[in-house]
Amino acid sequence: MSVSAPTTDFDLLPFAGEHHEELPFIRKYIFSTDHKVIARQFLFLSLFFLVVGGLLAAMIRWQLGFPGQPMPGGDVLPDTMAPGGIILPEFYNALVTMHATFMIFFAIMPLLVGVFGNLLIPLQVGAPDMAFPRLNMASFWLAVPAGVLMLASFAVEGGASGAGWTAYAPLSASGEWTGVYLGQQLWLASLFILGFSSIAGSVNYVTTVINMRAPGLTWLRLPLATWALFITAWLILLAMPILAGALIMLLFDQTIGTAFFRPEVGGEPLLWQHLFWYFGHPEVYILIVPAMGIASEVVSNGSRKPVFGYHSMVLAICGIAFLGWIVWGHHMFMSGMNPMLGTTFMVTTMLIAVPSAIKVFNWLGTMWKGNIHLHTPFLHGAGFVSLFIIGGLSGVFMAATPVDIQIHDTYFIVAHIHYVLFGGSLLAIFAGITFWYPKFFGRIMNEFWGKVHFVLTFILYNVVFFPMHSLGVQGMMRRLYDPYQYEIFADMLPLNRFISIALFALVVVQVIFALNFILSLRSEKVGPNPWKANSLEWAVPSPPPHGNFQHMPVVYRGPYEYSLPGAEEDYILQTEPDEEAEPAERSVEPATR
Amino acid sequence: MSLDKHTHPPYMTIWAVLAVLMFGKVAVGLSDLPQAVAVSILVVISLLSAGLVALYYMHLRFETKLLWALAFLPFPLVAILILTVIQEW
Amino acid sequence: MESHAAAVGLPGRQPEIALEGVYTKKLGMWIFLLSEVMFFTSLIGAYVILRFANPEHFASPGEVLNVPLTAINTFVLICSSVSMVKAFAALQNGDQKGLQLWLLVTIVLGSAFVGVQIYEYIQLAAHEGFVPSADLYAAHGGPLYGSTFYVMTGFHGTHVTLGVLALIFVLMQARKGAYTPQNLGGVEIVGLYWHFVDLVWIVLFTIVYLI
Repeated sequence: MSVSAPTTDFDLLPFAGEHHEELPFIRKYIFSTDHKVIARQFLFLSLFFLVVGGLLAAMIRWQLGFPGQPMPGGDVLPDTMAPGGIILPEFYNALVTMHATFMIFFAIMPLLVGVFGNLLIPLQVGAPDMAFPRLNMASFWLAVPAGVLMLASFAVEGGASGAGWTAYAPLSASGEWTGVYLGQQLWLASLFILGFSSIAGSVNYVTTVINMRAPGLTWLRLPLATWALFITAWLILLAMPILAGALIMLLFDQTIGTAFFRPEVGGEPLLWQHLFWYFGHPEVYILIVPAMGIASEVVSNGSRKPVFGYHSMVLAICGIAFLGWIVWGHHMFMSGMNPMLGTTFMVTTMLIAVPSAIKVFNWLGTMWKGNIHLHTPFLHGAGFVSLFIIGGLSGVFMAATPVDIQIHDTYFIVAHIHYVLFGGSLLAIFAGITFWYPKFFGRIMNEFWGKVHFVLTFILYNVVFFPMHSLGVQGMMRRLYDPYQYEIFADMLPLNRFISIALFALVVVQVIFALNFILSLRSEKVGPNPWKANSLEWAVPSPPPHGNFQHMPVVYRGPYEYSLPGAEEDYILQTEPDEEAEPAERSVEPATR
Repeated sequence: MSLDKHTHPPYMTIWAVLAVLMFGKVAVGLSDLPQAVAVSILVVISLLSAGLVALYYMHLRFETKLLWALAFLPFPLVAILILTVIQEW
Repeated sequence: MESHAAAVGLPGRQPEIALEGVYTKKLGMWIFLLSEVMFFTSLIGAYVILRFANPEHFASPGEVLNVPLTAINTFVLICSSVSMVKAFAALQNGDQKGLQLWLLVTIVLGSAFVGVQIYEYIQLAAHEGFVPSADLYAAHGGPLYGSTFYVMTGFHGTHVTLGVLALIFVLMQARKGAYTPQNLGGVEIVGLYWHFVDLVWIVLFTIVYLI
């Protein structure tokens, strides 16, 4: 049934941006339905949790570098966590669990999806806002209580969850193993609420991209950041509910004593692992695919060249997203699963190297012989590419079952995940924040301090995480409270102490970024297009007004037309009419001449 | 592609078919048929009923290709999950 | 399609652009329902796998569960689906009275379904010892039976309850004359949700009660 959107010439109609009423403070900044305000809210929320997660990491490294010694300033912690500043084993379990939980669910995922999804999707598709602005607001205001519950779990009796971020049953299914009852339940409830938030956001992203693209903005003229976020939204939509169902069953095991994952009454712990990783592996791509999109934007902009192989980039994103559904078993090679499944999962996992390599070569091809401008976003993007190569290659290692048997649950895995999540996603996030800072706040971050931050972060990051490969191959297990009580690990203390000190330096270096971020809020205002980029968000003022576009934009070309031969400037906005080619919407008319 | 204003799908006929299929399922479920036969019949009838609801009550039959594509998107994933994990036992 | 991309950016209103031929609200509801499919997949999939792994935990049809009562309840839900679609058809014909009447019928039938389900739970728990908790389970089969039964039917019942609440809201809007044959998105999307919940029950009833 054709529901009546009156079909009128859009040029004649006022677009939302023209009617700009002043909203009261609470509607404008707190319960706002404006996607740009929600993006900023997500930005502050997730940066806060990034700091929390970073502090937890520093505490973990203190215990590994200086085991049993009082932490500087650690005496502020209550005696149930660290009496006299000395970390207790139970608290250490909570530290590793909550570090991963905060970083994955409350920092990286909202930073990529909540922040950039909200900011970029409506702007890059040329829409005045999301398809469902109130649902979008609900998405943010569900994420807040989820975060509060997760933080509150530190304060309850028994402390926060200590069963690892994967919450393997039966350890997580009953408090009698860990002594954590309410903390584990809060963990489950918090993630369940966060699932609602993510799904609400994703319904919006998908609908907006499908239905609200500006005239002329065909699928293959979409910027890669939007493509990546679109595919990511699909992954969230289809994977998050699986986690939600599993969380519910585990929560009932904990609270009312159902039998799902409790072997003592007939349940199947292995089922939890399958359900968790069936969600968990798409989640891994939720955390990296948007970063790939951001990297494509900044690498192309910094190289002043079109993205090499745009079509193959889009296909590679789709390929990664699809393969992400059939590889989850590679997290479980040591679970005693059916060997036939193990082999299948090994092969499918190795296949992912193909689309990933396509993307890497395309980024390198984009830089090749480009007129490279080493601005801060480009540096972070190039950093992303190089560290993603290392993280990706170690991923191929681990996919081989025989190798995984040696390095499973060791620091090799820790190194791998941090190469893709920190070196990959977080560097792309730094690139994205620096690049789109004008669209958030109408100003630009300091380039000098941005580069200083990048160089120090890049070096220290590798100093921290590269040696972990070696620790892992030597057999040092992850999540050990005090590895040195085992004779074989005793001589690893010096290297661990070195890593810890480097990590403290890495944490301190992030202060440069924080100060640059805060102080730049008061710097001079910038124009619409400080980076001389092409996509639609650069056609509107910085920051864009409520409703984004004065008139419906019309798109005439792709998003990466840098350094076009014969053009006056080395960039051409997507809204620039093309003298020779007709826009897509008019090309359906028969040629008259 | 669109539902005409005055020619609705035969809603009441489909309702009657759904009711008959449902009571048929109950009869099969409570009968003494061998397990494998009963399960096969039940699965087929369920899919048939679910298909009728989706096609006519949810109007999928009259929708665009886009919605068709969307509606079938989760089913490979469902099959992958269940058929893989069941190999463990 | 693009040439008809009509943007009506009237102040305070979302432009109803429908690039791909499906208006935005309906597209959003379908996309949401896909994620619902995956949610029920995790619950139903867990049931299928647990049952395959531990068949001794499950009783044969009719041994513990009251099949005739639930068959009638299923019939009630099927009737509520047809009344919902009648409400939508009435609105398409501009019949406001019919819209409100059929919405009311749907609400009554939906509430009846939830009521019977609660009665069934009480009967099962009180007289059969069929409970979700593993330690208190006393019926035929084993604790996995009770756990999976209550989680699956309970979450379905929650969905029905939320659907009834949404229908009450839609009925109140309809009484204010919010829907017209040209503006029927609200009724159509609540109908989509309602039929989806019915569809899930058709599957659940079969695999939980009859297999």
